[in-house]
Amino acid sequence: MEYSLSTILPIVLLPFFAFVLNSFIVKKFTKTAVTISCLAIFVPFIYALRIFIDFVFNKYSADYYIHKTFTWFDLSSGSQIFKVQMGIYLDNMSAVMLLMVTGVAFLIHLFSTYYMHDDPRYGRFFVYLSLFTSAMLGLVLSDNLFSVFIFWELMGFCSYSLIGFYYEKEGAGNASIKAFMTTRVGDVFFLLGIVALWTTIGSVTYVDIYKAIAENSLNSPVFLFGLGIPIATFAGFCIFMGTIGKSAQFPLQVWLPDAMFGPTPCSALIHAATMVAAGVYLSLRMYPLMDAGGLLEAIAYIGGITAFGAATIALVQTDIKAVLAYSTISQLGYMVLGIGVGAYNASLMHLITHAVFKACLFLSAGSVIHSLHDHHTHTAVQEMPRMGGLRKKLPYTFLAMLFCTLAISGVPLFSAFVSKDRILGDALVMATRSSVYLIPAILGLCGAFLTPFYMFRMMFLTFFGEPRDADLFKHAHHETLSFNRNIPLLILAVFTLGFWYSGSLTGQGIGDKVFPDSKYEWFQVLVEKPVLSKFTSRTTTPLDVPERKEFIESSHYDPERGFASEEEEHEVHHIHQMGAIASIIIALSGIFLAYCMYISKKFSPAWWTTTFSRWTAALRNRYYFDHFYVDVLIQKGLLQLNNFLAWIDMGLYDRYAVDGWSKVLTLFYSMSRWFDNIVVDSILVDGTGISVRFFNIVLRTIQNGKIQFYFLVLLLVLAGYVLGFKPVI
Amino acid sequence: MQHLLDWILWTPALGILGILLIPGKSHNVIRFWSLFVTAVTFLMTILLYCQFDPSIPGMQEYFSVKFPWIEQFHIYYSLGVDGISLPMILLTGLLFFLCILSSWTITKSVKSYFALFLMLEASVFGVFMALDFFLFYVFWEVMLIPMFFLIGIWGGENREYAAVKFFLYTFAGSVLMLVGLIALYFVSGENADSFNILALQGGKFGAMTIKLFGADWNFGKIVFIGMFIGFAIKVPIFPFHTWLPHAHVQAPTAVSVILAGVLLKMGTYGFLRIAFPIFPEAAVYFSQGIAWLGLINVIYGALCAMAQNDMKKLIAYSSVSHMGFVMLGLAAMTTQGVNGAVLQMFNHGTSTSMMFLMVGVLYERSHHRWIVRPDGTKGFGGLYTQLPIYSIVFIISMFASMGLPGLSGFISEALIFLGIYKTFTTITVLALVGLLIGAAYLLWMFKRMFFGDVNPAVVEYHDMNAREIFYMAPLCVAVVLFGVYPSPLLNMMKASVGSLVSLMAKFQ
Repeated sequence: MEYSLSTILPIVLLPFFAFVLNSFIVKKFTKTAVTISCLAIFVPFIYALRIFIDFVFNKYSADYYIHKTFTWFDLSSGSQIFKVQMGIYLDNMSAVMLLMVTGVAFLIHLFSTYYMHDDPRYGRFFVYLSLFTSAMLGLVLSDNLFSVFIFWELMGFCSYSLIGFYYEKEGAGNASIKAFMTTRVGDVFFLLGIVALWTTIGSVTYVDIYKAIAENSLNSPVFLFGLGIPIATFAGFCIFMGTIGKSAQFPLQVWLPDAMFGPTPCSALIHAATMVAAGVYLSLRMYPLMDAGGLLEAIAYIGGITAFGAATIALVQTDIKAVLAYSTISQLGYMVLGIGVGAYNASLMHLITHAVFKACLFLSAGSVIHSLHDHHTHTAVQEMPRMGGLRKKLPYTFLAMLFCTLAISGVPLFSAFVSKDRILGDALVMATRSSVYLIPAILGLCGAFLTPFYMFRMMFLTFFGEPRDADLFKHAHHETLSFNRNIPLLILAVFTLGFWYSGSLTGQGIGDKVFPDSKYEWFQVLVEKPVLSKFTSRTTTPLDVPERKEFIESSHYDPERGFASEEEEHEVHHIHQMGAIASIIIALSGIFLAYCMYISKKFSPAWWTTTFSRWTAALRNRYYFDHFYVDVLIQKGLLQLNNFLAWIDMGLYDRYAVDGWSKVLTLFYSMSRWFDNIVVDSILVDGTGISVRFFNIVLRTIQNGKIQFYFLVLLLVLAGYVLGFKPVI
Repeated sequence: MQHLLDWILWTPALGILGILLIPGKSHNVIRFWSLFVTAVTFLMTILLYCQFDPSIPGMQEYFSVKFPWIEQFHIYYSLGVDGISLPMILLTGLLFFLCILSSWTITKSVKSYFALFLMLEASVFGVFMALDFFLFYVFWEVMLIPMFFLIGIWGGENREYAAVKFFLYTFAGSVLMLVGLIALYFVSGENADSFNILALQGGKFGAMTIKLFGADWNFGKIVFIGMFIGFAIKVPIFPFHTWLPHAHVQAPTAVSVILAGVLLKMGTYGFLRIAFPIFPEAAVYFSQGIAWLGLINVIYGALCAMAQNDMKKLIAYSSVSHMGFVMLGLAAMTTQGVNGAVLQMFNHGTSTSMMFLMVGVLYERSHHRWIVRPDGTKGFGGLYTQLPIYSIVFIISMFASMGLPGLSGFISEALIFLGIYKTFTTITVLALVGLLIGAAYLLWMFKRMFFGDVNPAVVEYHDMNAREIFYMAPLCVAVVLFGVYPSPLLNMMKASVGSLVSLMAKFQ
């Protein structure tokens, strides 16, 4: 296949055009719109498959990439040059992601034709789905952080719309705002990171960023509030904040559980193929930056805390979707932990395997919920305490869900065993090297024990035992095999098997001796950390000649770092083996504990909740994060501050300082009026009149025309003169 | 077509003469006539865009008009257009045309309303085209008269207070500008170029001193401060912003749209055309301060907006916040920053106009604008269910206003951030908080009005009618088009902005 913009862009543009077209026709031609949406994701799926085959089966070496750009807009004038370039960046990692996104999204589309069929806004749902997948595909194909940010925000918008899909519910409004705003906290940091990198490097394409890191040009400090921080640390932190927001990591995990207010297929899309995957994908792309910035330890901690913390909360959830939501957060924690410990490849692999089984789990949950209709309240039932024994009614759903649960639990032969345990293995390796990593590794292992427990708790409560709500159970319809309800589930379930992802069925190299070919692990060979030194020689014009390389035999451990010696390799291998054996034991004991509690009833769950009531309360309240953010930070902090400022602005500043001028002016003009009336008018003006009248009287008296009087005055003057007075006039 | 600027400027004025000939009772004739006049004007601005040569930095000789007006004082009637004023002229043409449509429901003294509206249009065009400082000042002042009456007569309950406040505040600013204008006239030698904005530019007054109150001051800085305050009141920049919420709340819908969409841009246009290029040293000297003021605008405006319960007041404060971004971009004086600022002026013009028009549409049905009434009950609720088309248009306006990528506001904000980061790193970090709160207050307003159960009060509202859809559609197209493909706007402005930036760079 010839790779150029015109052959690759349709992957993004088809769903986007479907969105544009459907948003106009959806009201009148709902069925056509739905068909268009489904086709518009199916065709990209074929494309993606083609690219995937090209990239993976033709065995392009891990550092092969295709980079095509075009100018979006250009601000250059005269000597100032500034261009914004957009483009596509296609390497093995994007090829894998593309296949996952299109494949999972297509199956979700298909399932939605069943799930949403009776919804009054059936068509509109597909409009959002198309935009959502288009944005995710755009993100995967982006060659630079700026366009990643654009698609990233578009996904934020889509999640906002989908979570608020049932806008009649008050809660949907709250949940959608929460999702949008919480992720936007991260997004704002992300934008800051982009701006910082762009200003420093002059571009934000991956290629240029890698090049700058390789050339060590990101060490100059950024001065912030008087502190100097190296730019790589600053930008890396900001970009990782984006991941924290989008991938629901501690401490911004609060939005994800609320996202289940949306229709269930949209939860599948958000939790599996798109939104949350985007955050991890971004961090993987920016792994060299985080590494250069020295942020990996912190990332490992965030991942470990999230993986363990979310798993504990999942223990007490009773809503089937809530369990899945917390398991998503926990699994994302593992991916981030993987990034933190340098398990680049395993982290991506876990992203893919998780996308498959989590999509399947959510769709299965949707299938369960749809079959349980409460005839009293006319709502679908999501509460597990009202379920039970459903495996007889929903055999296909049960089968699919069982596969996925086994996968997420890390049972050998299933996908997450390969991916998650490689992350844990690398965490253990790092823990033996540096004690800093000890806590994340332990948290990861503890989470690995909780995961099978809460997942099987969910399975047992839903599908096993006796129906706890007989009326509900009686009305549940028997599941029949239908192409848009069960087939997507079963297809996804098939892909939860481990061998799709790893040549060795067991992963971890345990079975090396049994399966000698197990070193040929396509995933581990084809996806590797960007080798920075290869980017330094490259000019900005991309390299277009494919470099076909045969599969190189290589260890699954970090190829860049390499091994110092045979012993080291052996030691790493050893730790991985031990880790794998440990996690098999951990997984099985978790399942066993769940069995004891919920099937054989050896231990009563009630005993635990009453004995540790305070802990249970803390877990039920999600460690009070929501309470702290909403009630304390927003209600008590932000809103009070707003009201206070608004009062200062209008009640104080405007009223007194601005309108106060009228008082000052009033004072001025009353003073000037007084001056005018009293001084000028009464004294000066009227005074003149009065004095004129006064002199008038005087002069009239004097100048009275009587000659005798004049004579008298003359005599008096003369007499005065004689007596020695000087004349007045 | 050399006199295209004349035609654009005087067509609305001729339209007033036309209105005077129409009997006051034939309302529809007056409306259609005004619509016709503004439509013709708008088409001429598009024609201007088509004939505009974007490669020329500075004024386009082809369109320039200049002849003596008051020869004794070297005052010329001189018009021109460049890449900075053209986006504003286009915006003015578009918004006035749409506002006539939205004013269709005005029934109180129709004749004088439309006459004043056209007068406002002519004066706004004059401000954006004038190349003679005196002429600029005349249009700047003339603009106040129709605004005063439009708010004072057709406004809400407290209209007289708002109108007087608006008038006095702006007038106080213009007096400072007038002083500067006269000072410049004498300092520059009372010759033929003393009122010529272009001839005054280039930093000729940086070294001059002026004696005031018995001390020597730098002439450039003193006059710059005066003019800064004059323009800052118009923008409005904190702490000169409090007239804006009053004026917006009281003004009728169309006047709010013009006020937020066009008149605020006159302030920032004043910086770009007059204050910065004439006093580049002073602008560079004060750039740190201007940036901090811009930052205060961004955050303070956003925080105040979040506390408002009146939709129009909320959007008025959001304008304060968004104009803060423009000031940040201007203060940076970099290619990205200033291009972003001019683009933001245009984009804010479209997005905030959409918001005000949407408020107006709702107001015509509800006759109130309370998100939450003073007694704590919800003013609306469940509008999403009740008014589907309205809700979708509202969502587009809201996300355009908060700068969602793919809609126009994003590109300008991103460019501004890129432009300011190097010079003002700390300010960039803080300004991003404004971006966060900017989303919060809009989404919160949306949630309280549109989600949840249908409020019994809104059941009788009917959805947007054809006329309303017709005047919202061009704006929707504009925010989407310029969000996806901003090149038409940026190509138009980049040469002129580039020459301004290189002028400023000489003094940095």
